[in-house]
Amino acid sequence: MSQSQQPKILILGTLSGGYAGADSTGQSHLDYPPNTYILPVMSPVMFPPEFYLRAFEHGMDGIIVMYSGTDSPYKVEADGTAKLINRAYQLMKERGMDIRRLRLAAICTVCVKPFLKEVNQMNDLLEGIGFVKDEIAAHASAIVTQEAAHG
Amino acid sequence: MPENQQPRIGVYICHCGGNISGAVQCESVAKALKGLPNVTITRTDESMCSDAGQSLIEKDIQELGINRVVVGACAPMLHEQTFRGAVTRAGLNPFLYHHVGLREQDSWVHGHDKTAATDKALRLMSAGVAKARLLQPLDPIRLGAEKHALVIGGGVAGLRAALDIARQGLRVTLIEKSPFLGGRMAQLETVFPTEEEARALLHDLIQKVTAHPNVTIFMGAEVMGVSGYVGNFTIQVKQHSRGVSDDNAEALMSACTQEVPDPFNYGLTKRKVIYRPYEGCYSSTPAVDWDHYDGRPFDVNGWPIELKDEPKSFELNVGAVVVATGFDPYTPPQGEYGFGELPQVVTLPQLIRHLALSKDGKSLQWNGRAVRDVALIHCVGSRQVDGVHQPQEDGQVNNYCSRVCCTASLHMTADLHKRYPELNIYDLHQDIRTYGRGHEEYYRHALEDGVRFLRYNGEEVPEVSPAPQGDSHPVLVKVKDMLTYGEEIEIPVDLVVLAVGFMPRDLHGLDKMLKISRGNDRFLLEVHPKLRPVETAVKGVILAGSAQGPMNIQESLSAASAAAAKVASLLGRGKVELPPFVAAVDVEKCNGTGACVEACVYEGAIALQTFNENGEEVKRAVITPANCVGCGACVAVCPNNAVNVQGWTLAQYEAMVEAIGMDLPAMTEVTA
Repeated sequence: MSQSQQPKILILGTLSGGYAGADSTGQSHLDYPPNTYILPVMSPVMFPPEFYLRAFEHGMDGIIVMYSGTDSPYKVEADGTAKLINRAYQLMKERGMDIRRLRLAAICTVCVKPFLKEVNQMNDLLEGIGFVKDEIAAHASAIVTQEAAHG
Repeated sequence: MPENQQPRIGVYICHCGGNISGAVQCESVAKALKGLPNVTITRTDESMCSDAGQSLIEKDIQELGINRVVVGACAPMLHEQTFRGAVTRAGLNPFLYHHVGLREQDSWVHGHDKTAATDKALRLMSAGVAKARLLQPLDPIRLGAEKHALVIGGGVAGLRAALDIARQGLRVTLIEKSPFLGGRMAQLETVFPTEEEARALLHDLIQKVTAHPNVTIFMGAEVMGVSGYVGNFTIQVKQHSRGVSDDNAEALMSACTQEVPDPFNYGLTKRKVIYRPYEGCYSSTPAVDWDHYDGRPFDVNGWPIELKDEPKSFELNVGAVVVATGFDPYTPPQGEYGFGELPQVVTLPQLIRHLALSKDGKSLQWNGRAVRDVALIHCVGSRQVDGVHQPQEDGQVNNYCSRVCCTASLHMTADLHKRYPELNIYDLHQDIRTYGRGHEEYYRHALEDGVRFLRYNGEEVPEVSPAPQGDSHPVLVKVKDMLTYGEEIEIPVDLVVLAVGFMPRDLHGLDKMLKISRGNDRFLLEVHPKLRPVETAVKGVILAGSAQGPMNIQESLSAASAAAAKVASLLGRGKVELPPFVAAVDVEKCNGTGACVEACVYEGAIALQTFNENGEEVKRAVITPANCVGCGACVAVCPNNAVNVQGWTLAQYEAMVEAIGMDLPAMTEVTA
């Protein structure tokens, strides 16, 4: 299967956490699925819940937010991000999306094993539940059917 | 200005000497990217970071009018600044540059699948191009800065930081909460691994600090409020009265009869409420212990003299703050290893003070009897295990290693053996972590001196109980020794010494005033131990010493010097230049909901201000860049996306995500 036929995993990695953790993994030359795209972020507390929905609409099948958790240098990052992700879960549920597609994980700059674990777990999950576009389409179709049934 | 014209993007892919090109078909990626909108030129090079590679970029900017640059290479941490420099040399704004990590996050992890690695490189580079289209020129934040630093804490780290800053030609104000300088180091006798006299070293440092013309010291002083930002902090300070002067000190001390347990000796002795902690302390003028003084007047030659604390408040304007507030030794709760219940159980700091106070004895005396057998238990208050140890106030156990106590314990066993060679010493440890240079020698000497080592498991800690009646020793220690495959060993002893760990200090709100974070272990948190050591997320607030975690004196001094170097580099020129990655408001979009102000925890970073628009009063959010840390908490809550972090905007992220998700431009295999 070529890359474009595989589910895509977006990783939002903080500069003081997940992004540097991915660099550490690279320095160890440890393989992980290549369908992962890591973008550096200052802090994920900047992303509104709708951002995740739009990312799914753009074809990201899974998103892992890798931040520093309670060890974040930013005072609002831990609680603030968790609240935003929880709101994103609500929106995902309303759209019939599997909320396991979005994960929040505390990854430090040298967290090689936890980084690999998170990526592999998400990859395994996506292999099981498939593309997000199919999920969105199935939900839309179900609504149409439901509306038709109600006249 | 080329940077304000339509984007003309130059894309450069580094082979990294085969590190990237070994897995990624760089030429194919470059060729495919050439078809993207706004991409003017794509190039590959064996080593983009070389002078020749950088010259390629500079030449393209000057000759082809490239006004946005994307480089795919090693991790941004390594060469982002290199390429920003190249872009700047060619006359372009350095923030019109974007770096894509293709080595650590692609070729080094997907080398087994070159097609996939190439595909990924193309998507990541496409995302980089998408961001580059939206890059705007940015200016670093430039602020005037007071060439004056505040150091909070007069222990060894604070003193060292103050001296190093002063020697850089900056003014320093040092404030110390207690009425005396020196901190914890003054309570020690000798220091490892050099075996020098602690106080001799300390007093030498104090002498240099107090003699330096750039240093002003306030003892008995504490921070009451903080406002402002890097370069321009305003600090409210309250200084308590000393209560006595050199003129009346001796008479008042003689007249003083009220005694309290002496914290300097960890409660082993008592002292008067007018006191000096030890002979030779700085300042030599005694001070009143206002927390314990009962307010009764002193009878001096028939005259009743009543002392009153009349604190004075004042403000300091400083450019940076060094937090060197130190640590507290762990105090075991009542009953932990018999502490507080059996008089023969003491902490290591208590034993250090006890030995300091009883130098001339021929045998070690404790609680009125000679000590023949002593057990020393490591990891008390450190490396605690959930369900085994009593949690701290926040419900968590101290699962960190205090690092210093292993060598401190072995330093003590060496001292005990030297003073009292007949003493039998039992060392009960989980591990021996003598990690510093010269520290392992103490372990070897302890073995040679006949110290008996027993190793316990952290989940089955030793038991300390009163010895059965009739036993010649007062205390019985039971331990399951892992060195003898779990044999249960009973050790009758006269004294148990608990090698207690480091505890983060209650800073009475100072951390909140400064807006600095604590880690899971409750010690103060630096931004990153390797990338930005001793810096906090609040610009201009720097950490020094054991306020940020267990450190020995050597490490505290190193951290203090590092903090001083940061302060000097920050304030040395009298102005501060900071990265522009802070929030910015688009006033066209802002309709003054105030959600951003509510979301922000950084005082003074964002506020609503009233403006007059077409004769109508409207509220708009205004950022004070110096107070903003760029976390983006305001971005997520703005219903109009009127606020963004410069250089990291939501629109840029959405463009990158869209690019990753798009169908790839056609790639053809290109032979280099």
